[in-house]
Amino acid sequence: MMQPRSSVNADLAMDNVVAKAANATEDVKAGSASAAPAVTPRSYTGNPQKNSPALGATLAYMGVDGLLALLHGSQGCSTFIRLQLSRHFKEPVPLNSTALLEETAIFGGWEHLKKGIAKAADKFKPRIIGVMSSGLTETFGDDMGSAWSTLRQERPDLSGLPVVLAKTPDYIGSLQEGYQRTALALVETLAKDSAPQEAKTIALLPGAHLTPADVEELKDMVSLFGLTPLVLPDISTSLDGHSEIDPAPVVQGGITLEEIRRIPGSVAAFSFGPSMAVVGEALQRMHGVPHLAVHSLTGLDAVDLFVLTLCQISGRPIPERLLRQRSRLLDTLADYHDQIGQKKIALALESDLLLSLAGCLAEFGAVIQTALAASAPEPSAVPPGIPVAVGDLEHLEEMAAGSHLIIANSNARQAALPLKIPHLRAGLPVFDRAGMPQTVWIGYRGTQRFLIDCLNAMAV
Amino acid sequence: MFVNLSKLNLREECPLSDKGAPKLCLKALPGEGAERSCAFDGARVVLMPITDAAHVVHGPIACAGNSWDNRGARSSGAQLYRRGLTTDLMEMDVVYGGEKKLIQAIVEVAAKHRPKAVFVYATCLSALIGDDLEFACRQAQAQVPVPVIPVNAPGFLGDKNIGNRVSGEVLFQQVIGTAEPEGSHPFAINFIGEYNIAGDLWGVLPSLEAIGVKLQSCISGDARFDDLRTAHRAKLNILVCSKSLTNLVKQMEKKYGIPYIEGSFYGIHDTSKTLRAIAEAFGDADLIARTEDHIRQKEAETRALIAPYRQGLEGKRAVLFTGGVKTWSMVTTLKELGIEVLAGGTQNSTPEDFLRMKALMDPEAHIIEDTSAAGFLTLIKEKAPDLIVAGGKTKYLAHKTRTPFLDINHGRNLPYAGYNGMITFAKAVARTVFSPVWEKMQKPFPAGGDVP
Repeated sequence: MMQPRSSVNADLAMDNVVAKAANATEDVKAGSASAAPAVTPRSYTGNPQKNSPALGATLAYMGVDGLLALLHGSQGCSTFIRLQLSRHFKEPVPLNSTALLEETAIFGGWEHLKKGIAKAADKFKPRIIGVMSSGLTETFGDDMGSAWSTLRQERPDLSGLPVVLAKTPDYIGSLQEGYQRTALALVETLAKDSAPQEAKTIALLPGAHLTPADVEELKDMVSLFGLTPLVLPDISTSLDGHSEIDPAPVVQGGITLEEIRRIPGSVAAFSFGPSMAVVGEALQRMHGVPHLAVHSLTGLDAVDLFVLTLCQISGRPIPERLLRQRSRLLDTLADYHDQIGQKKIALALESDLLLSLAGCLAEFGAVIQTALAASAPEPSAVPPGIPVAVGDLEHLEEMAAGSHLIIANSNARQAALPLKIPHLRAGLPVFDRAGMPQTVWIGYRGTQRFLIDCLNAMAV
Repeated sequence: MFVNLSKLNLREECPLSDKGAPKLCLKALPGEGAERSCAFDGARVVLMPITDAAHVVHGPIACAGNSWDNRGARSSGAQLYRRGLTTDLMEMDVVYGGEKKLIQAIVEVAAKHRPKAVFVYATCLSALIGDDLEFACRQAQAQVPVPVIPVNAPGFLGDKNIGNRVSGEVLFQQVIGTAEPEGSHPFAINFIGEYNIAGDLWGVLPSLEAIGVKLQSCISGDARFDDLRTAHRAKLNILVCSKSLTNLVKQMEKKYGIPYIEGSFYGIHDTSKTLRAIAEAFGDADLIARTEDHIRQKEAETRALIAPYRQGLEGKRAVLFTGGVKTWSMVTTLKELGIEVLAGGTQNSTPEDFLRMKALMDPEAHIIEDTSAAGFLTLIKEKAPDLIVAGGKTKYLAHKTRTPFLDINHGRNLPYAGYNGMITFAKAVARTVFSPVWEKMQKPFPAGGDVP
């Protein structure tokens, strides 16, 4: 039992601990003097910017019409995800759980998964069930594939129900990794059969960093070239904040099962964000669909490259509307080049979004002071001159001092407020500013909007 | 290494067979969509509002990453409790164990953030891989000058209520009674289960001050660790919310001889009733007289201020979907505004909460049995209420039904407790019920563009 201590003694003793820890930090700095800016190594994560991979999986599943998402884990896992996604998108999140309890830690959750799929299928009548695993079930090694195939034998009436299984243990990264694995599982499970060729149809594979409005903008851009987009996952019609006539406990909106099955017949596939390249590569490998990895759609060069590729694929010139948008972007750059030039920016975001936004700002003359990724990006995807490190929002707090702007999710307010640095909300969760799901920061128009949002945030 | 569940008196409180009764010790079924939370969450709900402590989650990113700083428990001072601190277990930690990382993390957190105490939470994964939380905390304790307190409530232990109870045990065994207060007050009380959501506690303090009662500690809204240590010197415990902390008040009664009463500060009726019960428990004639004066004055004031809202709301019908003390207290609070409760449902209440709710409601009122999204939607369609009163989990689904909706759980920004809280509540109800938005949403729009 602890003894009461006077607070004076506790403070003195604490000073010793602080001094020791400070020495340790100095040692670390001395050891890596060349690498600047250094992220203080720590045994803990403070104010994480990571969300769980299963949250990313849920986000991907939310882009598929009639799907019911089922998390193989304990009850809290799904509750936290529902709350986090709900407060960001201001939308209900139909996520169900296999509700594991203590005995499953001993005997495994295999039977629970079978029961969960059967119950969800019977009760909610989904068109598709999307399952994702958790740290708990991956650690005791539940084989989801065998659970599903056994259930299919026991319940022949369910054998026609498409069930997607994504392995998303909590310890493999952040939401981006879970989203990526789930998008891959969707392709490998639901688009595994070949489909008739469609000359004007292209597959779009947007990353976790695109908002519903971004995805819609993307579809619009492609449609301007006379191409038909099939978007997987498509959150632009499911998480866009529409008011349903008849609400349902499954995903409403998003790509349909029939559309997913047409994807192998696409004339080309684009993946957006470095993390999504593996999904495009899988399509290429499985069905020979030519795949183009688009790292970013924010910034002039990035959008130019995408637009010119669309010209080639469609055989059409750049539509007048896009030329006009490009021209407006250039004019904005001229008008505000001095307000963005040499501005020091600190960012902490999931890596696809981080590289995209930091790349755009650097392209227009800003200085990236700090770029903290939630999880490590593919080194080849990092634009030159951007000092990317993996870090949390406590690192941001330590490294953002002196910058003119912080770009990070709402949780970074604990860093930005004491430093008195303007804070532009981006990423997920954003719960203290209206309109994040409706924000478009891609394409010419979106790049212009992103710059304007940065400028307005700094114009205090 | 886990808390002995039989000690938490769960079993005796289970046997309600009423339809829709909360099933505290029963298991949620896989795939049924019950949308309940877990023991880890329940433990943090109770302990996290200790504002000057560090709260370290020993687990993978899912447990802390998705959920820190997401409840509206307010602080009048330290902000440390809002920080998300976790060992963020990675694959190699899962393979080789995370104890060493945890010990180091506690030491580093203590050095950087200078907390008054460090609470360390187990999670499903750290429990599964066999990390010994008590051992790690003892090891860290040797290097850290403030208490390091293990909280062993991994999510798979069960529902949120179980976690509430585990944290009650933790407070009783390791915090309460470890320090003495400076002076003593004849009318010192503790609040148990008042989390200061949106500043609820601050709506009640003026009344305590007016009648001359001192709040020794609040478990655990806007709490300071050192105040909690002296909670055993209070003369009376008020169980405000979450009967899940019954175990704590019972044990404090047994060990320190502190009697307890139950109360709620939602609505005029319950606020007065609770203040009166406090005064009567002390049995002091002056205190009782002061309290009666205060109640008379505040009730008259409050009723006059909410009268215009009540006028418009009279006869409206609501569906109530919440947990804990609010299951029953909201029934009377809504009645105060002339609103009848058509149907009620609860997931996180105790059987007592549930029975009280039933007793207060019209016998014809519907008890919601299926608390999943599907069940909720069916009910709303059937009952077509004028108002849905529920928590954030239901908020956006409720909006799809195009029905006025009021959030009363931890996601809200407005305090509803005490007499002032009642005025705030009345205004909020009126704002949503009479918002022009719902009518626009319900009005049909000719898809074909036909002009009538």
